[in-house]
Amino acid sequence: MRLWRAVVIVAAGAVLGLAWNAFGGRGIALSGNAYIKPGEDIVEIDAAEAKKRLDKGALFLDARPVAFYGMGHIPGALPLPEDDFDRAFAGLEPRLRNTLDIVVYCSGYGCEASHIVARKLREKGIHAAILHEGWPAWTDAGYPTKEGKEP
Amino acid sequence: MKALRHPALHWLLGIALGAVFIYASIDKIEQPREFARIVYHYRLIGPSAALGFVPANTLAVTLPWVEALTGLLLIVGVWRREAALTAAFLLVTFLVAVGWALAHGIDVENCGCFRVSGEGRAAGTKLILQDLGLLAVALLLAFVPPRAREAAPAGAPVPLPQGKLVVPTGTHPR
Repeated sequence: MRLWRAVVIVAAGAVLGLAWNAFGGRGIALSGNAYIKPGEDIVEIDAAEAKKRLDKGALFLDARPVAFYGMGHIPGALPLPEDDFDRAFAGLEPRLRNTLDIVVYCSGYGCEASHIVARKLREKGIHAAILHEGWPAWTDAGYPTKEGKEP
Repeated sequence: MKALRHPALHWLLGIALGAVFIYASIDKIEQPREFARIVYHYRLIGPSAALGFVPANTLAVTLPWVEALTGLLLIVGVWRREAALTAAFLLVTFLVAVGWALAHGIDVENCGCFRVSGEGRAAGTKLILQDLGLLAVALLLAFVPPRAREAAPAGAPVPLPQGKLVVPTGTHPR
């Protein structure tokens, strides 16, 4: 057993992977967000920008499961859970179609629900920005929150 | 325990474990974006405000090739023990990732083990048992060397593990 050989295997595999990613034709941008498909026109904003939009009257949509919404959400946000999109959307559609500034959020970077909801809205002709750092960034920044089922 | 050191067993297990690793790498290499999404779902190395996207994306594009190279070496039998050690290291990493997700209540719907798009297997107890089984095979290949194929007849040159030929002295039949 020669340990350096195991190190060589890992290093060579990593180099092959990086080379394939750079030259193989299907590579991804290493600093990009894989939740966003190539050519997809989705705007991501941070918590500070989201707060500004909230103060200007933007409509916020909470893409997390409804149980999380009840435990705490951005004031004024409406629940549009990704796991129950069609039903929730039907109830919100008239309002969404009359709103220009919409922001979707879920539970942070690892969470994909906000991207899925924004994509589904886009397919229905509604543009929404994504608070990509999500709920944790909002609470970390000390911005206002609200508990319960009411927006 | 003698059977565990049989060269044929090591040959077979090397091919089997190698095939699993190569099979596991194909879908990830073909769909790096889908695999990166799954890496995100684990929330283990980002993306996060502190780390950004680079560590998770780098892992997503390099890990499948380490798997593929490890599998290839296990199958052809070159550097088999070191490739098995690498496989063991990867499996321990997977076990830590799945354990982390389970412990934190993170619902990783698709573990990203073999299939990265559509319905995949969830990260759960069954997966941990499977990984432990593969880990046992990898550790056997890495740390229990197969015995030499056959005993050399007395007086014949005895190959040492390093491959050097040494003729035993003093026992030559006249």
